[in-house]
Amino acid sequence: MYFDFHVHGDSHLACEARRLGYRGIALIQPSNNFKPEPIKDFIEEDFLILNGVEIYAKNPEDLKKKVQKFRKKVDVIIVNGGNIKINRAACEDPRVDILVNPFKTRRDSGINHVIAKKAAENEVAVEIGLNHIINTRLSLRAKMLSNFRQIIKLKHKFKFPLITTSNAHSIYNLRTPEDIITLLRCLGLTSQEAKNSLSQNPLQIYEKKKIRDNMVVKGARILE
Amino acid sequence: MKLKILPPTLRNKKRYIAFEAISTVPLTREDVISLVWESSLNFHGECKTSKFDLWITKMWNCESSNDKKVIKGIIQCNRKETELVRASISLINKFKGRPVAFHTLGISGTIKAAIKKYIKLEDKHK
Repeated sequence: MYFDFHVHGDSHLACEARRLGYRGIALIQPSNNFKPEPIKDFIEEDFLILNGVEIYAKNPEDLKKKVQKFRKKVDVIIVNGGNIKINRAACEDPRVDILVNPFKTRRDSGINHVIAKKAAENEVAVEIGLNHIINTRLSLRAKMLSNFRQIIKLKHKFKFPLITTSNAHSIYNLRTPEDIITLLRCLGLTSQEAKNSLSQNPLQIYEKKKIRDNMVVKGARILE
Repeated sequence: MKLKILPPTLRNKKRYIAFEAISTVPLTREDVISLVWESSLNFHGECKTSKFDLWITKMWNCESSNDKKVIKGIIQCNRKETELVRASISLINKFKGRPVAFHTLGISGTIKAAIKKYIKLEDKHK
């Protein structure tokens, strides 16, 4: 069972993802242009379509406000990082599901041992966005690969969940899960870890979403 | 004079990768060769690409509509390097400024099995 939790698009893209062997996708919309339930014409029993929002925040306070606003409305909350303060605030918030682009406009990966520890504590997944590898060339691609290698090195030490997504805007950005696994193996992940980043870790986010409403604190929830 | 063919034990062992390419413009065999080689040279470099023994064995035009053209084909490569070849094929994204996507369908030991299992040709192509 493979999932892709960061896709921008319509039913055509969902159809293609199903053909390539995915069992579910999350359609992500930007926080400043959010419309609830964008897709209605593609409903299959064995294909999961989740709604998500990508939050662009100016500062940690703004981030908290936006997370509070969207948590009840959507299934997946993605935070677009870049600023070191935003990266840290996102990893310290258990309501956030995925941190994307922590290396945006930076020379390093944007994740250090402090942030990695917090991400592992709060189960915030860090994304490996394949569009950064597929759509770039030569020196830029090499820089992206080195950023991902640094994230993977920290993942081995602190064991925060890693998630691989396509960030696709059209069907030409999608790749089959098996191709992605071989690509991740080039980055130094074992095949089991690569598989988990496409199947088990997204599934955990989905499972957590189901029980999130009843959760009081981490480890305790209301049964009735 | 032509070289005498190597005995089977000394030949390089091969694998056949079945692939499909989706593009907006029709692709010829030469285009596919240049795309695969360029992507492999960019991603792995000259030293590793020399070990791959890349060769486009066969290609078929399978489906064509105005905005989507699908071709399927078989790439021959060295037995030990299938994973690296697969990774470099999946990184192909553009041909003359137009988007292209390459997907691996499967890997097989013979051309016959690759066609039967992964390419699944219709009668008109046989």
